[in-house]
Amino acid sequence: MTATSRTGPTSSASTTAPRLEARHLTVRFGGLIALRDVCLQVPAHSITGLLGPNGAGKSTLFAVVSGLLRPTAGSVLMDGRDVTRTSPQKRAGLGLARTFQHPELFSSLTVREHVELAHRIRHAKRRLWSDLITGRGFLPQPAEEKSRVDELVGALGLTSVQHRSVTGLPLGTARLLEVARALAVDPGVLLLDEPSSGLDPRETEELAGTLRRVVSDHGVSLLMVEHDVELVLGMSDFVHVLDFGVKIAEGTPAQIRADPAVRAAYLGEEIAPTDFRRPVTEQGEPA
Amino acid sequence: MLSYVLAGLALGAVYAVAAGSLVITYVASGVFNLAFAAMAFTVARFYYFLNTEQGWAIPPAAVVSLMIFAPVFGALLYAVLFRHLRLRSTLVKLMATVGLSVALPPLVQLVLGHLTNVTAPALAPRPLAVFHPFGAVLNADQLATYIGLAVVLVVGVGVLRFTEVGLRVRALVDSEALTSLSGTNPGRVSLGVWAVSGTLAGLAGILVAPTSGLSAEGMTYMMSAAFAAVIAARLRSLAVAVVVALTMGVVTDVVQKYLDPSSSFTAAVIPSVPFAFMLVFLLYYAVRGEAGDAVAGGALDRAISPQGGDPSLMRTAAVPQGRISSSSIGTLAVVVVIAVVPAGLDRYWAGLVAAGIAAAIALLSYTLVTGEGAMVWLSQITFAGVGAVVAAELVDRWSWPPLLAVFLGSVLVVPVGVLLGLLTIRLGDLYVALVTLTFGSLVQTLVLTQDPFYDFGSGQPMERPSFAQDNQVFAYLALAVFLLVGLVILNVRRSTAGLAVAAVRWSENGAKTLGISVIQTKVLLSALATYIAALGGGFLAMNFRYTLPDSFHPSLGLVWLAVLVTMGSRSIVAALIAGVVLYVMPGIFASYLPDKFADVPTILFGLGAIGLATHPEGVVAQTGANLARLFTRRPGWAGTAATTLTAPPDPAEAAPHDRSARGEVQQLPTGGQP
Ligand SMILES: Nc1ncnc2c1ncn2[C@@H]1O[C@H](COP(=O)(O)OP(=O)(O)OP(=O)(O)O)[C@@H](O)[C@H]1O
Ligand SMILES: [Mg+2]
Repeated sequence: MTATSRTGPTSSASTTAPRLEARHLTVRFGGLIALRDVCLQVPAHSITGLLGPNGAGKSTLFAVVSGLLRPTAGSVLMDGRDVTRTSPQKRAGLGLARTFQHPELFSSLTVREHVELAHRIRHAKRRLWSDLITGRGFLPQPAEEKSRVDELVGALGLTSVQHRSVTGLPLGTARLLEVARALAVDPGVLLLDEPSSGLDPRETEELAGTLRRVVSDHGVSLLMVEHDVELVLGMSDFVHVLDFGVKIAEGTPAQIRADPAVRAAYLGEEIAPTDFRRPVTEQGEPA
Repeated sequence: MLSYVLAGLALGAVYAVAAGSLVITYVASGVFNLAFAAMAFTVARFYYFLNTEQGWAIPPAAVVSLMIFAPVFGALLYAVLFRHLRLRSTLVKLMATVGLSVALPPLVQLVLGHLTNVTAPALAPRPLAVFHPFGAVLNADQLATYIGLAVVLVVGVGVLRFTEVGLRVRALVDSEALTSLSGTNPGRVSLGVWAVSGTLAGLAGILVAPTSGLSAEGMTYMMSAAFAAVIAARLRSLAVAVVVALTMGVVTDVVQKYLDPSSSFTAAVIPSVPFAFMLVFLLYYAVRGEAGDAVAGGALDRAISPQGGDPSLMRTAAVPQGRISSSSIGTLAVVVVIAVVPAGLDRYWAGLVAAGIAAAIALLSYTLVTGEGAMVWLSQITFAGVGAVVAAELVDRWSWPPLLAVFLGSVLVVPVGVLLGLLTIRLGDLYVALVTLTFGSLVQTLVLTQDPFYDFGSGQPMERPSFAQDNQVFAYLALAVFLLVGLVILNVRRSTAGLAVAAVRWSENGAKTLGISVIQTKVLLSALATYIAALGGGFLAMNFRYTLPDSFHPSLGLVWLAVLVTMGSRSIVAALIAGVVLYVMPGIFASYLPDKFADVPTILFGLGAIGLATHPEGVVAQTGANLARLFTRRPGWAGTAATTLTAPPDPAEAAPHDRSARGEVQQLPTGGQP
């Protein structure tokens, strides 16, 4: 399972190395062990789910993977390349994008400006500096940028609020904007931290559709944390389950449904055991 | 040697009293009190009033000052100001304390009378008793300082650790909601904290007054030196603050032992010691902080990190593109008025207006760094001062044409600002404020008030361009440059870099994971802001034809900032109004009112900044928004201004679920108010 081939940072997803890989991650906050020896892979063109009760360490894993937090031990690889000590903005440059459980929006910008900024960071990064000289901020938007931003804003149902400041947006809308912003950088790997909380069932359904399209049409790999267990099991190709910082199970959605350890961790929550196939024995990643 | 150590410990104890009190107040109240020096001055001045002017003996004067006046004073400040600050952003808290430190000293002088160069009374009885422990010399004043420090430690440790109040207080800092649930009254706890804080500030003030002088400037200097220890303590470890402060004192005195007391080098080394300490700790934290980019855990660290949803200084609203907003009409109106005014004025008033416009150029650096970047830099006035000196040197020594000297000379100041920016980038808002204020004090002491730059206060001569000898013409020249710089800022705002600046300001994590470099963005801002400040300084010097070093004192920088934020820190036209008000209002008072009221404008400026606690948008923005609402009645964007005033810390989380209610004002729970 371990990736052996080393590929260039921007090489296509067709290589054998997973787009994203966490190896033996351990994170300590003082006495608390938020993650203990967790391994996880996000293969190309796939949706990977990450489940776990509150405080299991899911967001901590995201923080480590996106570079906001240094792990106590272990490493993070993108396309087979070790990025454990690489800054978040460099990882973004390598094609990693994420959303946050608590939306991290830029309060003084409009909805549309969020998407525009993200688009430019990816496709016209020079404008970060050149605008200061050329005064392009006063000129109309380039057509290519405009159509792409229109498309994203439309796809996530944000058209009606696109010129509003994000202050005071409902939580659900803020989440959709985070997804739009993340997609605007045309990521190779997209991390979503509880994208559906705050959305009503119809919005959730639409978001799921958009995400599926992104994966099938643009070859994006998704790693998704969700409290909506059914949503994860319904969408994912492969699922990992964390509890108290330890990975207690991994497998296909069907295997996860049947897993006794998962059902113990989620005691009281309904995971319909629709499929009784061979239960996965509790296993770590082969070292 | 022991004598030097003992004397050094006395100096260190003064720093320690100040640093300890700052830490205690901060940990207990969540407000970093930049007005500490002003409070210290107030109590010390009251003590002088009782002891020297009313002839009270030391013990009753000290007891009344420290045990009655100071706590009542602290409690009063809580009631009228700090009470409103608890749930405000770091930025608003800082600005309110800046306002207080601007307004308080002149207010006290208005009530108790203006003093110049008096000998402040100490706490120890005169004639001064001298002790000889282990053959060294120790005088009673030094002993009093030690005792003062002991009192601070006992009180501080008492407040923070042992008493029940301490427990409640810590709960208060950590979570207002939790404390309320547990049945404690956060308001009463805070009242107690501020009462104690008043006493601690007073103690520091009375202890340092004999050496630093009974003046707000002297106290500010002492406080900014103490910042080094506060930063070493990362704002919250009382023990570290006290140990570092004592060490600073000892090092200062022991260094003196080995230096020629009459040399100017010695004179330079002594004020540099605290800054050197600060630099060492900053570098240490910068290197160590490199490991993790995330803000370290803990309520306090989070409290000092830039917060999302800062209700202050927020862009009023997104103006729909392609429409002429009423704010741009207002801008035009103000510019036209200020452009017409000099033509109808005599030399004196035209000169004041020109000075105001020149100052407005420098104020635009705050518009950029504080308005756009949400960083409280307290050294902009120092950059202006240095810009003035550099330009004057270029004109004087190398016979550059004045305009060229001002525009190119300012470039030379930029690296200083960038370096300062780099040093503080990983630290929170508060650190930036503290470091820049200390830096300003240091440059003031080491450079601007030293010859050849000082020359008895007039500084170096500075020429105007030959075509602008006349005050009116110069006013127009300055106005043109102001508009040019305003355009540059507008361009920054509209550019991709401007979007990135906003991103970094509101969410560093969001910006970083998008691929934006926080460091590059902040360095860009500090470089531009430094340049603009230096440019404004050059214009001020041209206006007065001298560099006038005293007009760039860091404590005046607080006044600058207070006026600017009062007018509105995001608006370019507000900077113009602020600059003109800054010079014209004192002129009006000086010309038409008795001397006694000369300081009233300063008081008003300070009160303006204090008013920010309740009107975080600033006067101009506020008035503009109100007018716009009156005329347009479109809740779409005029109404948003009102919304942002009380916007919740996390815009998304506290959002109403009912989408139709989005345009409504969202009320933040303001604990402590009935
Ligand atoms: N900065 C931090 N400092 C200390 N402890 C932390 C920090 N961040 C997270 N923790 C702790 O680490 C554990 C894992 O937290 P994490 O946020 O990763 O959980 P989660 O799986 O995302 O939970 P949730 O479903 O509630 O979002 C929790 O016990 C949390 O309290
Ligand atoms: Mg989480």
